[in-house]
Amino acid sequence: MKMEKTSAPKGRTNGSKEQKKENRYGWLFISPYLIFFTIFTGIPFLIAIVMSFLNVKYITRLDNLKFVGFQNFIKIFKNKEIIASLLRTFQYSLVYVPLIMVVGFALAFILNKGVFLKNTTRSLVFMPYVSNMVAVAVIFKVLLGNNSPIIVALRNMGFNPPLLLQDLKLALPTVAIISVWKGVGLNMVVYLGALQEVPSELIEAAQIDGATKWQRIRKVIIPMISPTTFFLTISSIIGSFQNFTCIQALTEGGPGQATTVMSVNIVRTAFTKFDTSLASAMALIMFVIVMIVTLIQWRGQKKWVNY
Amino acid sequence: MQKKNKGLKIFLTIFILSIGLIANFPFIFMISSSFKVSGEVMKFPWKLISENPTLMNFKALFTNGIYNFQKWYLNTIVMTGLTILIKIFFVSFTAYGFAKIKFKGKDFIFLILLSAMMIPSDIMIIPRYMIFKNLHILDSMWALILPSCVDVYFVFLLRQSFISIPDSISEAAKIDGCDHFRIYWRIIFPLAKPAIATMALFSFTWSWNDYMGPYLYISTMDKQMLSVGVKLFSSGMIQDYGTQMAAATVVLLPILIAFLFCQKFFIEGVASSAVKG
Repeated sequence: MKMEKTSAPKGRTNGSKEQKKENRYGWLFISPYLIFFTIFTGIPFLIAIVMSFLNVKYITRLDNLKFVGFQNFIKIFKNKEIIASLLRTFQYSLVYVPLIMVVGFALAFILNKGVFLKNTTRSLVFMPYVSNMVAVAVIFKVLLGNNSPIIVALRNMGFNPPLLLQDLKLALPTVAIISVWKGVGLNMVVYLGALQEVPSELIEAAQIDGATKWQRIRKVIIPMISPTTFFLTISSIIGSFQNFTCIQALTEGGPGQATTVMSVNIVRTAFTKFDTSLASAMALIMFVIVMIVTLIQWRGQKKWVNY
Repeated sequence: MQKKNKGLKIFLTIFILSIGLIANFPFIFMISSSFKVSGEVMKFPWKLISENPTLMNFKALFTNGIYNFQKWYLNTIVMTGLTILIKIFFVSFTAYGFAKIKFKGKDFIFLILLSAMMIPSDIMIIPRYMIFKNLHILDSMWALILPSCVDVYFVFLLRQSFISIPDSISEAAKIDGCDHFRIYWRIIFPLAKPAIATMALFSFTWSWNDYMGPYLYISTMDKQMLSVGVKLFSSGMIQDYGTQMAAATVVLLPILIAFLFCQKFFIEGVASSAVKG
């Protein structure tokens, strides 16, 4: 991320009448936003942290609160069911993140190579991104359900297709793949923008130096777009953790517990089991995991990201 | 050489266009099925256009006697409209402060906002519930509108596009005696219209498609939004495929049409912002 230096000019002008006026204006422009930001983002974030160390049951009853230290976190690590849902989140990410990155890049690469009807295709692939997940889930449940035309067609060919969303083993990867279908348009469009920024002289120079097609992709194009890859990887990982709507709409965490990932479990713990503090601690753990992943990426970017 | 390339180009076009079309098959299936009687939806072999198309499903949807679909529709339109309106002024006003005014403490505050972009929103759901309750906006559309107006992402995005407007323009206005309010409203806001249009479109899709918000914070049936409504509706009509598809159609159609008409803003807005960021 490039940050322009925009701080107030140091030295003689600082503290001048002009500068004081600018300061007043500046704060005038950002205060309304800051107030709302504090109410709806800042304070909730602090409450979430504090609540993880208390014993709140029922969201709205805040009497006889007690500080319980790390008890909620210990409870989580002893609870097999919560650990299982955490592992499911990782499994989901392991399907979702590589797929959305690779498919997004591949589609952008082909589009950039020069095809007819480029903009039409770009819009077609982007279409699912703007669609409503719940409405999409209604369609997929019919399409992948028993006696849908697709299933019947496959059966007539002599296959025995599984009912993907009702299969204990296949439901989770299926939900992840549907999320990729929905989200890949964004990655593609972002990659396409990055690919168009790659100077063609560079690629031609590599060609003259006798680089093969594959070498050109690996040694020129991929390093050139590494900042975009970095940005997309982080946002895809965060996106893969925030998959509540997608899973709730498609399977509600079922069949059995097969798709009960952490995000679904947090909402269930908070709003059906009324264990507010435990849910907060779970959300905090997710937050810390995102932070750690991002930090690792940030550290690692020196090795592979070229600005 | 030329010939080979042309052949490859045609092959790639066919390949990627098929991917695009397959990706849209669910939508095609949905629209096609919404005009069929329920018994015909699952009929094999599948037909794109029904032999006897009917509007029965849409009628059934709006006169089902259990759920007030029109009310949900209206709620969602009002909620989305208010969100876009408030967000446009609120966010652009703030972005102007960050982009065009040199004041003390700006960089520090902006850094805080940027770090907030990293916080997964799932951690906010419980505390926000408490805050809505204390502000007495729980179970009203304001619980969905207000939080989405503090979207850091767009403050960041608009700030970028305001910065790219040359300072010489506003300097000239300053010399003519305009203060910052006038410069924002008369110069920067009109010049940044494409970026603001992109923001409006994205807000539209996010608010229209939001499921988690209404699911968690709205409990009264009559105040509910379409996303939750469609889910309720479809789980109550397991076998009635035609009506389910009609429900999905009326939810998806406004978004898909908006996208088809404004795809340039959508796609170029994303590409430019992400690459620069």
